[in-house]
Amino acid sequence: MAHARISANLPPDIDPTKAPIAFGKRALPKLNEELRSPELLTQQRALMALCDLVHDPENVYQAIGVGFLDNLKTLLLHHDSTVRQKTTEILYIMAMHNVGRQGLIQSGMISALTELLDDPVDICRKNTHQIFEMMAKLHEGAVGILHAGLIPLLVFKLKTELDEIQELILDTLSNCLRVEASEALATGAITILKEKLKHSSAAIRSKAAWVLLEIGTHPEGKSMVCEEVIPVLVSLLEDTDPEVQASATGALMFATVKPQGRFSALGAEAIPPLLKLVAEETSKARLSAIKTLTMLAELPEGRKTLLDHTDTFQQCLNDPCEAVKRAAKIAISVIKWKP
Amino acid sequence: AAAPAVPYTYCSRPRALPACPKYRAARDAAELEKEPIRYTNLMYDRRVVRGNTYALQVVPVSTQPSPLEIQRQREARKRALARKCAKQQMQPRTPEPVEGREHVHVQTELYLEEISDWIIEVDTECQTDAFLDRPPTPFFIPAKTGKDVATQIEEGELFDFDVEVKPILEVLIGKTVEQALLEVMEEEELAQLWARQRAYAELRNAELAEVQRLEEQDRRYREEKERRKLQHMQMLQKQKETTEKIAARAFAQRYLADLIPSVFNNLRESGFFYDPIERDIETEFLPWLMTEVEETLERKVLGRTMLDSLIRTVVEKRLDAFSHKPLSDQTEAPAEESRPTDAAHQVAGETDAADQPVAEKEETDQPVPEEQPSRHISFRLEESDPAGTEDLETE
Repeated sequence: MAHARISANLPPDIDPTKAPIAFGKRALPKLNEELRSPELLTQQRALMALCDLVHDPENVYQAIGVGFLDNLKTLLLHHDSTVRQKTTEILYIMAMHNVGRQGLIQSGMISALTELLDDPVDICRKNTHQIFEMMAKLHEGAVGILHAGLIPLLVFKLKTELDEIQELILDTLSNCLRVEASEALATGAITILKEKLKHSSAAIRSKAAWVLLEIGTHPEGKSMVCEEVIPVLVSLLEDTDPEVQASATGALMFATVKPQGRFSALGAEAIPPLLKLVAEETSKARLSAIKTLTMLAELPEGRKTLLDHTDTFQQCLNDPCEAVKRAAKIAISVIKWKP
Repeated sequence: AAAPAVPYTYCSRPRALPACPKYRAARDAAELEKEPIRYTNLMYDRRVVRGNTYALQVVPVSTQPSPLEIQRQREARKRALARKCAKQQMQPRTPEPVEGREHVHVQTELYLEEISDWIIEVDTECQTDAFLDRPPTPFFIPAKTGKDVATQIEEGELFDFDVEVKPILEVLIGKTVEQALLEVMEEEELAQLWARQRAYAELRNAELAEVQRLEEQDRRYREEKERRKLQHMQMLQKQKETTEKIAARAFAQRYLADLIPSVFNNLRESGFFYDPIERDIETEFLPWLMTEVEETLERKVLGRTMLDSLIRTVVEKRLDAFSHKPLSDQTEAPAEESRPTDAAHQVAGETDAADQPVAEKEETDQPVPEEQPSRHISFRLEESDPAGTEDLETE
């Protein structure tokens, strides 16, 4: 029988683990059919080929049009770990494009991915969390994750997962909690986050502080944050990593909106480190620090202390960033306000 | 099969007859196997009558010959047998052998033949050789004609590799580099996007915090205002109350300023302040005096009335005495008793207004009889008193 291959030796640059890709428009439909085949090897090869193709956004669009997502949903629960890993990788790359994200939300992939949170293979879990993180950046994605009731699961996973996955979970949580924080508060997220604030890894610390920031945007979150976490945040202001400082300042900014938060911040002596942060020209935390100091200046004791430091704020007026200038002006006006 | 809608009707429809198999026994097998029905040619069918049909032999309807025919056939067979026997006997035969001798068949040819029933058979086999593969046809190499000519391509004559390979190389490298660039750009784009998003998030958070702070401030100011307003209202209220109180107090003071004198006046007028001796005299002495005076007067009146009544009774008695003198004196005593009662009655009737004083009088008179000037009257009075009091009581 005649074969399409000319010689018995394969050409040197063909990858035997990938399925051959058909030409032009037929590539994706053919891969779709191969995905449905009962043979494991075919499926794996098709997945590898798809993984490479999906980096191109046009292919993502076409893939969603052809109807890949239903097949991929079925393959998520496959018994073979390679299949699952590749499927999650493909979904992650698709989620990086807006078309992909929309398609994933519409096909209800979030609930299917919930099953994979307990997968024994690390890389599958990591990819799953990456997908969630991508989805959470979109508002409908965050709402979808909230509706699927994933927040308690994710908060629970924070205690047990590996570090890099914890970072991903913290990112997801911060995006989702921007929308609504009540579920997370109900499952005691603040206690867990307080522990994470003292973690050894700087990235986890900064992300945990960011999550606290997002919780603090909601009123009930503010009261919970005020009760317990302010002293820890103030201690983080002197952390070595600028990211951590920025996030901690942001979290403090929201926590001090409420009067009791302001009192506890003053009690924890937050003003000196904040002033230091404002004085640094290139700090990311400058804007947040100015805002926090503005809030603290509304208290009489704060105003007294800050009246001595108005020159720091005068310096900020020369900052190239427009927002910083405005914030500095507001801060000066609040400090000099007389009842 | 239903007859189609044609003008003919048949007893038996015309159909192609299948071939009559040669061996009857095989027919059942053929039926069982359901071989495809082989149709024979009509011309070669044995069942079709051929030849002239004027002297037709009628096939008997029944295959079973009738007994008459069976008998005829038997007789015919007998006759044939008899004829055969007769014929055989009439044939010339060789005479019978003489005694002691036998007829033997002898061959008289030159060469004797062994005559036997069995035919002499000799088995011979013959076999062709195994087929050999047909040997390949040798290449047809035609005889060489023509002249030999040779040519050789030297390096650099057909094409210049370096020049020709450039576009291919460029394409290859270009594609690779383009792919690499795309990937790097993708990552860079992503990193930039995240950085911008982060910056935007910071700005947004700052603005949100500002908004919340202003909200908080606004809330505090509002609450403060409310509280101050409330305080002010309370203060005004208190002030109003105080002025009212002062006004009320002033008014009350003024109103009550001459209260005491007026009260005292009223009291004095209503007699609360009294001289005790005067009061005493008034409350006790004077009533007593009055009652005593009344008593005295009553007594006097009573005395007068008694006197009147006495006078009346006496006058009546005198009248009676003068008019009823001739009457018995026996009735004097009861008449006297009854007259005092009548007198008492009359007294009672006349002095209705003086009932009480009379009763009083009678009561006071009983214990003070000795004050009466006329004792006998008092005796009578004592007599009539119980009767009078009884009458008074019954009245």
